[in-house]
Parts: sequence; structure tokens; C-alpha cells
Amino acid sequence: MKLKGKIGVIAGLIVIFVVSLSLFTVDQTQQAIVIQLGKPLEGIYGPGLHFKVPFIQQVMTFEKRILVYDASPTEILTKDKKNLVVDNYTKWAITNPLRFYTTVRNENGAQARLDDIVYAGLRVELGQHNLSDIVSETRDALMMKVTEKSAKRAEDYGIRVVDVRIKRADLPEQNEKHVFGRMKAERERQAKQYRSEGEEESKKITAKADMERTIILAEAYKISEKLKGEGDAKSIKIYAEAYKKDIEFYGFIRSLEAYGKALKKDTKLVINLNAPFFKYMN
Amino acid sequence: MGWQDNDKNPWGGQKPPDLKEAIEKIKKSIPFKIPFGGKYGLVPIIVVVLLILWLASGIYFVAPDEAGVVKRFGEAVRSTTPGPHYHIPVPVETVMKPKVTQVRRIEIGFRTIGDRQLGRLRAVTNESLMLTKAENIVNLTFIVQYKIKDAIAYLFNVKNQDKTVKDAAEAAMRETVGESEIDDILTTGKFKVQQDTKAILQKILDGYNAGIHIVAVQLQDVHPPAQVMAAFKDVASAKEDKAKMVNDAYGYRNEILPKAKGKSAQITNDAVAYKESKIISAEGDASRFMQILAEYRTAREVTKKRLYIEMMEKVLPGVDKVIVDDKIGKNMLPHLSLGRELDKKINTK
Repeated sequence: MKLKGKIGVIAGLIVIFVVSLSLFTVDQTQQAIVIQLGKPLEGIYGPGLHFKVPFIQQVMTFEKRILVYDASPTEILTKDKKNLVVDNYTKWAITNPLRFYTTVRNENGAQARLDDIVYAGLRVELGQHNLSDIVSETRDALMMKVTEKSAKRAEDYGIRVVDVRIKRADLPEQNEKHVFGRMKAERERQAKQYRSEGEEESKKITAKADMERTIILAEAYKISEKLKGEGDAKSIKIYAEAYKKDIEFYGFIRSLEAYGKALKKDTKLVINLNAPFFKYMN
Repeated sequence: MGWQDNDKNPWGGQKPPDLKEAIEKIKKSIPFKIPFGGKYGLVPIIVVVLLILWLASGIYFVAPDEAGVVKRFGEAVRSTTPGPHYHIPVPVETVMKPKVTQVRRIEIGFRTIGDRQLGRLRAVTNESLMLTKAENIVNLTFIVQYKIKDAIAYLFNVKNQDKTVKDAAEAAMRETVGESEIDDILTTGKFKVQQDTKAILQKILDGYNAGIHIVAVQLQDVHPPAQVMAAFKDVASAKEDKAKMVNDAYGYRNEILPKAKGKSAQITNDAVAYKESKIISAEGDASRFMQILAEYRTAREVTKKRLYIEMMEKVLPGVDKVIVDDKIGKNMLPHLSLGRELDKKINTK
């Protein structure tokens, strides 16, 4: 009984071992092919549990997710003969692991191939556009074109190029200096403009204020002269109306008043004794 | 196998007696007969316990901020919502629980060193310097906030999700900035840059079916490159200068115009006063004259004489007088040395 049990247990373990060797799982993020004695077999295995023949068959798994190939920045000449430092990345995925395995073997091999394909595509495409187009207007369309071209060429390697995208497109350092110089000059011009505009406006405002002041004062002068004139005229009229009642008496009384004011102290006066005042002295 | 045969000693002294007693105790305390024991003793119990533990290991909880994704032999078979769930235990099924409500953050153009609250930042200029329209260069840092939109897509479609978002964000930002004027980016166009970048970024990621939702693209620091900073600052101060000059001018205006108005009021008031006083005194003079005239008319000669004499009386005392008689003075008058006397008076003063 004990011996039988032991044999049973051992047999069971062997069975489990063999079964485990003939079973394999593929993760949701992966895909697999089976290689029999070094020769890849047809058929791609998706996620789940699968069987294989133990010992003579091997499993190769590959990524199913979208991968990134981030190329190092390269200088590319644009149509208007300007250098542009382009840093791009390529999103790609393995669509046919069998072909992928037979052509580029693994991800490193694929990246080397992608580098050639994408770089060539970019160089050709960017060489047909001016720098300003690449930076501003046609960037998106341009990247789509490179993606399409690269995708077509990468198909042979069981690779799908999802997206080629220019991450950075900057000027080389020596060109940047020129740009900075130009930007500086532009700003200096702006600063000057603001300052002279300020002067212009300020002068306009002060001159207008001066003008308004002059007009206000002139207006006041006009009104005041008019008023004074009215006063003078009215008083003349009043005097005339009163005095014309007896011009002779007015002359007499006014003269008396004037004598009083005119003959002050120290006035030398020669008076004839015939004057009416001395009438009774004679 | 004789499992019911409980009375037999199944261990044959191989196991420590205290354990044996404990097992017996447990057996006795359970009202029904346990189908274990016999020749194999504890082994079946251990196997059953392990089996139960193994089955129990399939119980899992999905926290409120998580989503559960169950894989059977590596294949994603179902997703589960927050709460308790069960999956066939490992190695058949496994569960992944990505945090779907968590907002992740990526910094571009700078890195926070250590604690974010302390805010020590390190610039990464090759990420932050970028070309704008008309070939200007701007220095721009920003952050991207994102979260998982679709757990299955997020987990299984794209490798290296963080880097994917960062790369795409850089591409999107440069595309947006490349289409914008530097002055807009530096001033009023910031919001638009954020919105446009967010839209482009979302489109790129959807193109990868990345299962990622962009919550926000936020510009942090936007300024001209260090090399031209001074010139840009001078433009700003030139703007200030302009405003100051204009303000000063208005200040001058505000100072002189009220003064002029005040003076104007003064002048006109003076004129009114002059006019009124002129008229009033004329009326007064006229009134006086008329009254004198009225009295004069009742006694002309007397009044005239009286007024004359009174005037002379008033005037003459103060005056330096020379009275000449017509009869004598006819020949004398030329000899009167009026001039000399005057001279003397001036010299003595």
C-alpha cells in the first residue's frame, strides 16, 4: 500500500511535469509563435492557454502592444537650406510575429530597420518643405505622409508603423544665435516705438490742455469786457439822463466838486481880487 | 479506506501526542463524523485545508478608485467594478487593479526635485525651448494631467504609457506653438495654446487606442529665452514708460485746466462786479443830482451862491494863494518870481 502510494505520487508528478511542459500561456500583451527544432511553424498564438509538443517545440513570445522607437535627434536640411534638428519618435507594433522573427529576429533588430526607414522618409519629406512650413503649417500633414511611407516599407518585416511624429524640431545652436539676435532687434524696435508713442501722446495731451486753457481765459476776457462795456454804457445813460435835465447846473456843481479835488495843499493859486469870492473885499 | 474507523490509532506514535490529542478534541467537538483519518492521517486534512485556502485566494476586492481586470491564462476575459469579487485562483486566473480615478502628472520642460510642495525645480531646456511662428523661440514649461479612460485599453494596448503621453504631449505642444505668434503665447494666447494642445494630444493618444483621458494641459512658465530676456523686459518697461508719459500729460492737463477755469470765473465775476458797481454808483450819482437839482430849482441864485462860497471856503485854506488886485497888479504880475519860489521849495524838501 505504501509502495503503491509512492509510485502513484511519483507517476502523478511526472504527468504534471510533462503536461506543464506541453502547456503554455500567452499574456494579453503578447503574441507567440512556436518553433520546432529551430524552424518556425505557421500559426500565431493569441492570449490564453495553448498546447505544444514538449522538448522539440519552443515558444517565442513577442509584444502585441504598441511600442515606441525614440530616435536620437538628427540634423536635416530643409528646402530653403536651413538646418533643423529633428527629434522624432515612431510608434510601431508587431503585426506578423512569424515574418518579424524571420526578418529582424527581435525588437532591437526592428529598431535598426525602423531607424533607416523613418530617417530616410523624414529626410526626403522635410527636404521638400521650407522651414516655416515644417514648423508651422504642414507639420501634421507631413508627419502623416512619412507615417504612410514608412508603414508601407515596414510591412515586409511584419511591422505596422502606427505613427511617426516629430517631437522636437529646433534650430541648431549656431542658428539659434541668429534668431536671438533678430528677436532682440525686433524687441528693441518695439521698445523704441512705445517710448516715442508715449512722447507723441503726451505732447498731444499737454498741447491740447494748453490750448484749452488759452481759450478758457480768452473766453473769460471776452465775457468780462462785454460786461464792463454794459456797465459803462448803462452808467453813461443814467448820468446823461439825469444831467441833461439841467446842463448848466450840472456844469456848475460838477466844477465845484472838481475844484475841491484839484486844489490840494501846496497848490499855487493866483486869484484875481475881482473874483466873485472877493466881491465884498473891494 | 476505512475513514470511519476513528478508534484506531492512525499515527503509530509518529506524530507528537499533543497534536494527536488536539485533533481528537476537534473531532469530538464536531457533532458529525469527519471523513478523515484512517491510514493517511493528517495528509488529507492538510490537502483539504490547502484546497480551501487556494480556492479562497480567488476572493479579491476592487477599491473604489480601481477597476478590476481578470485574465485567464493571460487572456483578458472580464472587467469588474469596485466591490468584492471572485476569480478562479492562480494560475488559472489573475486580476489586475489599475487605479482609474487617480490623476497622473507629467512635467515637461522641468522636473520637480524632491517634495513637490517645496517646489525646487530643475529646468530641462532642450524640452522647453521651442520654435514659434515666424521663427522665434520661446521658453515654455507645462504639465499634463491624465487618467485612465479604459482600463483594458490602458493595460494592454500601449507599452510604456507614461513615455507615450510625454512624447505625444511634446509633439502636440510644439505643433501648437509652431502655429502661434510668440506675442500671443506670452500674453493672451495661453488658454488657447492649452486647449489646442490638449485636443491634439487626445487625438494622438486615441489614435494609439491608449485608453487615456487627458484631464488638462497646463502651461507653467512661459517666457522668452534667457538670451533675449532683457530685450523683452525692456519692451515691457517701454510700455510702462509710455503709460507713465501719458499719465503725466493727463496730470498736467488736470492741473492747469481747473486753474484756468477758476481764473476765468474770477475774471467774469470781477467784470460783473465792475458792471454792477458802475451802474449802481451812476444811479446813486444821478439820484443825488436830481435831488439837488430839485431844491436848486426852487431857489436858484441863493443856492448857487451858497454852494460856491462854501466850496471856496473849503478849498482855499489849504492852497498856497497869491491874490492879485487888478488895478495894481496889471503891471506887477510879470515880475512875480513864481519860479524861484518853487525852486526854493523843492530844494528845502
